[in-house]
Amino acid sequence: MKALKIVPEKCTGCMRCELACSYMQTGTFQPSKSVIRVSAFESHTSYSPYTCLQCDEGWCMTACPVEAIHISPAGAKEVGYDICVGCKLCTIACPYGTIFYDPDAHKAFKCNLCGGAPACVEACPRDAILYEEAEVTDWVGPFAAERSKGPGGVLSVRVN
Amino acid sequence: MAKRHVIVGGGTAGWNAITTIREIDKGDSEIVLVSDENPYARMVLPYYLSQEIGESHVFTATETRLEKLTVETHLGRRATSLNPDNNRLILDNGDEIDYDNLLIATGSSPVRAPVPGADGDGVHSFWTIDQAREVTAGLKPGARVAMIGAGFISFTILNALIKRGVELTIIEIAPRILPRMLDDEGAVIVQGWLEERGIKIMAGVEVTSIEDASGGGKVVKLKSGTDVNADLVIMATGIKTNLEWLEGSGIEVNHGVVVNDHLRSSESNVYAAGDVAEGPDLLSEGKVVHAIEPTAMQHGRVVGANMAGVDTAFEGSLLMNIVDVLDLEIASFGRWDDEKLEVVRVVQAGRPAYRKLLFEEGRLVGAIVLGRTRDIWATNDVGMIKGLVQSKCELSEWKAHLKKNPFDIKCAYLAAGAAGNLIPQTLLGRPSV
Repeated sequence: MKALKIVPEKCTGCMRCELACSYMQTGTFQPSKSVIRVSAFESHTSYSPYTCLQCDEGWCMTACPVEAIHISPAGAKEVGYDICVGCKLCTIACPYGTIFYDPDAHKAFKCNLCGGAPACVEACPRDAILYEEAEVTDWVGPFAAERSKGPGGVLSVRVN
Repeated sequence: MAKRHVIVGGGTAGWNAITTIREIDKGDSEIVLVSDENPYARMVLPYYLSQEIGESHVFTATETRLEKLTVETHLGRRATSLNPDNNRLILDNGDEIDYDNLLIATGSSPVRAPVPGADGDGVHSFWTIDQAREVTAGLKPGARVAMIGAGFISFTILNALIKRGVELTIIEIAPRILPRMLDDEGAVIVQGWLEERGIKIMAGVEVTSIEDASGGGKVVKLKSGTDVNADLVIMATGIKTNLEWLEGSGIEVNHGVVVNDHLRSSESNVYAAGDVAEGPDLLSEGKVVHAIEPTAMQHGRVVGANMAGVDTAFEGSLLMNIVDVLDLEIASFGRWDDEKLEVVRVVQAGRPAYRKLLFEEGRLVGAIVLGRTRDIWATNDVGMIKGLVQSKCELSEWKAHLKKNPFDIKCAYLAAGAAGNLIPQTLLGRPSV
């Protein structure tokens, strides 16, 4: 199965993925409605996107009391908006923090891989987000760990 | 001969057990469901009350689906006793059902405060679909509603009541609202938020009786001498596990039916799941009743797998709740009320935002998240907090960071590698379908 593979070393923090994602998902350019989210590291000298891994368990999907979340033909766990009532159980069940609640629509929302043609991949000018056959792994963890401890990282130590 | 699995209770636990058995055996066994109500999703009743969804939306396990899964149903029937020595279940109409495997998933029932008038006309519980229908029918815009009990259940219907245009008074015996979901600091913020929005809250007061008012409606009498007049009284004063029918069965019962890590009771072919089960706790060695929807779902799926012959151990349930009241989000996780732990609390000045994180050695084991809806959903925090607790991720130096910056969850989550711990985790040892 194809997966969204993140290559954080290549991300420049341009946020095009967030704009493209929110536009594809909601028709508006609103990073707050994007389901891929870019974090800054080392005082904004490095960045990485982070999004749903379409995990095997599908914690959001199994938690839903009305079975609003299903596996799409693209292999994404996808929210059926006409079924979702907005109870938010999925958002506390997902241990990755990658399903959200839209306070305007009163519905949960998450990455659905844009039906198999992810807009974030298309928008990224640096190939930091790829959509390809890959074993899912913690793409961002090691990058974040290294940069959080280094100079300017939140855990940096002052040396006199 | 095909095995006969008998499921007692058509709630979340029972339904998940049924679908999991069928995922595995594709119809290769008999499934018998005994349920006193037609199965439905209790969790969404508040949205029925607010009239955002119709009744059909509430019924998940429809007759058609049960037929498709070849489930023999005994609806409107209650189990009255169990005889594990000859694997026999007895129903309230005298019917006897023999089983190879049995699931006890009889859930819990609302309890009313033991005061005179608690069972009178115009006093409602909000737990079953029938009760939801009664309350829904009784609501008129401008009606005065007295809600006794300020726990999770009352808070789940608070938005719906306000949306229906009622004048709401909440009466709570404990000194603070949401006593099982929120600490004092959080409760003060929530109470202030609700009072600013016109809801009357009386905490630390005792109801002495509920009587008919002379001009129609009800009057809730308090020990202090105050009367609260109401057109409708909702009693949400807690729940109790439905265990009585197991008396004399010899099944080991404590707060719930005591089950092992395969959710088997003291009889190896009798399982228990959901509100009625006292099972493994993710965060301790002990056993616990977690009467919450996610636990019922997980229990049900694990039991279904075991009944269908796929040996499946359950690591343990995690206490968690989320509810919003008039655009203020309240979530709590794990051991949020264990003051023996290493605790950090932060309130943001000038806005209703509160965080409490609880650590045991290098791990996050509990949290409270409180904030405006728009603030909370601008972050990934709620899920990531659950992920840190669930993955038992070693935070090492990130603990100090979180203690200093309890609002900066994402940084710690990513750098501590929580996602890496979680990726291999599945409940049933395989991808969900």
